[in-house]
Amino acid sequence: MTKDIVTKDMRISRRHTLTVMGGAAVSVAMPSVVRAQAAEIQVHYSMPAIFKEAQDAVMEAFTKKHPEVRATYVNPTPTYEDGAQLLLRNAATNSMPEVSFQGLNRLRMFAERGVAVDLSPLLATEGDLAKLGYSPAILGLGFHAKVQCGLPFATSNPISYYNATLLRRAGLDPSRFPTTWDQVIADAQKVRALGDGNEGMFFRWPGDDWMFSALLYGHGGRMLNEAETDVAFNGAEGLAALRLLDRMVKEGGMPNFAGTADLQAFSAGKLGMMFRTTAQVRSIANSVGSNFELGTTVMPVIDAQKGRLPTGGAGAMITTKDPRKQEAAWKFVKFATSAEGTTLMVKNTGYVPCNQLAIDDPRYLGDFYTANPLFQAATKQVHLMVPWYAFPGQNSVRVTQVMVDNLARIAEQKATPEAVLADMATEVRRLIPRQG
Amino acid sequence: MADVALSGSALNQPRLARRMGGDAGIAWLLALPAILAYLAMILLPLLAVLALAFTDYEFGARSFHWIGLANFADMLSDRTFAASIRNTVIYCLFVAPLSIGIALGLAVLIEAGSRGKALYRAVFFLPVVSLTVAMATAWQYLLHPSIGPVNALLRMVGAGTPNWLGSSDWVIVSLGFIGVWENVGFNLVLFLAGLTAIPRELYAASEIDGARSGWSKFWLVTWPMLGPTMLFVIIITMTRSIRVFDTVQTLTQGGPNNASEVLLRTIYQEGFHYFKFGYSAAITLVFLVIVLGLMLIQTRLIDRRVHYG
Repeated sequence: MTKDIVTKDMRISRRHTLTVMGGAAVSVAMPSVVRAQAAEIQVHYSMPAIFKEAQDAVMEAFTKKHPEVRATYVNPTPTYEDGAQLLLRNAATNSMPEVSFQGLNRLRMFAERGVAVDLSPLLATEGDLAKLGYSPAILGLGFHAKVQCGLPFATSNPISYYNATLLRRAGLDPSRFPTTWDQVIADAQKVRALGDGNEGMFFRWPGDDWMFSALLYGHGGRMLNEAETDVAFNGAEGLAALRLLDRMVKEGGMPNFAGTADLQAFSAGKLGMMFRTTAQVRSIANSVGSNFELGTTVMPVIDAQKGRLPTGGAGAMITTKDPRKQEAAWKFVKFATSAEGTTLMVKNTGYVPCNQLAIDDPRYLGDFYTANPLFQAATKQVHLMVPWYAFPGQNSVRVTQVMVDNLARIAEQKATPEAVLADMATEVRRLIPRQG
Repeated sequence: MADVALSGSALNQPRLARRMGGDAGIAWLLALPAILAYLAMILLPLLAVLALAFTDYEFGARSFHWIGLANFADMLSDRTFAASIRNTVIYCLFVAPLSIGIALGLAVLIEAGSRGKALYRAVFFLPVVSLTVAMATAWQYLLHPSIGPVNALLRMVGAGTPNWLGSSDWVIVSLGFIGVWENVGFNLVLFLAGLTAIPRELYAASEIDGARSGWSKFWLVTWPMLGPTMLFVIIITMTRSIRVFDTVQTLTQGGPNNASEVLLRTIYQEGFHYFKFGYSAAITLVFLVIVLGLMLIQTRLIDRRVHYG
């Protein structure tokens, strides 16, 4: 027993010594090569189910273009949440990957905790940013806590999905999909009238505050005031947003679907209209298959002038403060968010491009959108996109849960919009940092 | 040969024992790996949790402060925590008696039957060996408000169709049913083992003494003889249902409006979603105290009445 262990140990240490010696020999023989290849960076991303193909394509193209940087992926994390945990854990042990793709609404936390490096000095070396396709709106999606903490890589906005076959059965014309919520509610009633478990509409309010912010921004409202010292959603816009949700339930007969029940009902052909992120176009189209005719279009408009839509998705941030690694990391981030990188991302995921060049120049994605009309809805709303609001301070994630919990009371018709709005304001106020 | 071997070992043993500090020394030496593993895997993490519970440590933060009992004070005014305690209690009170009662009934029936014992055992044990998360997906479909077979059946007979997982009035009951379904098979197997251990003569003797009906045989022989098994099953079922997590996480995420929030999910949510390790550790302590308390009460109270045959 003991002897065995000893020999195994010796074997390991012998092999180890050999490797070290080998490495030393190589570096002695070719010092210049070693120095040139030293730019090694590690890249992390989340949700491989959605992003793996896109990231692999980006990496392949990047390696071809920049052979002087050796970039490798660490194991991708299954969700944005896991991704944020991984980085925080790595930050505690000083072993962070140099580049990380995080949920856009989590960048703020990394900026506030000093994990994400300010990209402004790196951007400043690039000259005219418009020529690189970084429009102010695109840069704004990665600007938090007075720091350019990231650059958007993949963005999404909410869109309307509809079951054209079912709408026709209800005597509606799918090519003239409602452009107002009043119409949506009226049409939902007609689909419901078919009976047999058919539902008219579902607005995906559970999960997080993202879809609620679509209603709030749609009315021109905002979450907190400019100084971020107090809630601002408890005004007329917020009340209108909650009343609209209330009407969807009362008049539109919107069922209270938990989890992914809405997706199941939709795929089964029992749901007429569904409002949720464009990020799911590909998977919904796959699960619908040829069961019925699937259509997508822009969201119904609430306020044509002031109305906006929230942006979901992922952004790239740099974590290393070592100048040499930073340079290599910047090369990677720049490439991933370039017109070329964004084109690879769009073709492999269906997210909205986040490089102005790729949006404006049909050479990049023109053919793709002609061939995949379902993906077009989201791109028609790009001019409406504003950042998904990330609440300041330590309770930023908890705030979203408080909002969802309160929205549930409307979905269950257990409280009036007025009462819910007041409670939501009180509870959120308690969770944002007190300043001054 | 055997003699030689025996005397050889008899000679060696005391010498080795003396060198190692006697029999006790050897005992410690043999137990050492287990002791080390216990220290490293259970005791030290537990102490870490204990220490964390009195800090405001946040995951990824560079420092923390000792805040005494503040975490525990926060719990008193935490709406989510209150809901999670209430729901966990309701869930346990629903799942434990039902799954124990049903399992006992089934076990007695299966044991009394003459054919298909193995088949029934396998059928009822199936939920235990199946992956809960995968099964939860099946449940989600079964209980779906508009396309689910359960509501389709109810619609056919003209009954009301509750939104099983989406309504705050029903959600904990629905999760409870799934919990019962999960636990019955496990308890059933334990009861079957307990039943086979009851000596047949006791039934014969009780019959001679006048216990003719099935019920009186059950009440006079089976029930008291099953005492030790019952104690074990109650403890196991209670701890299993207090630890409910995967069905809640996959089916309802604690919603709607905290109506299905349970203790373990609150711990997970606070620690890994909100990164409040200190607060999460404090709730973990409360959780541990509850579990330990339950065990103590059960062993003390029930042990006194259990008849070890």
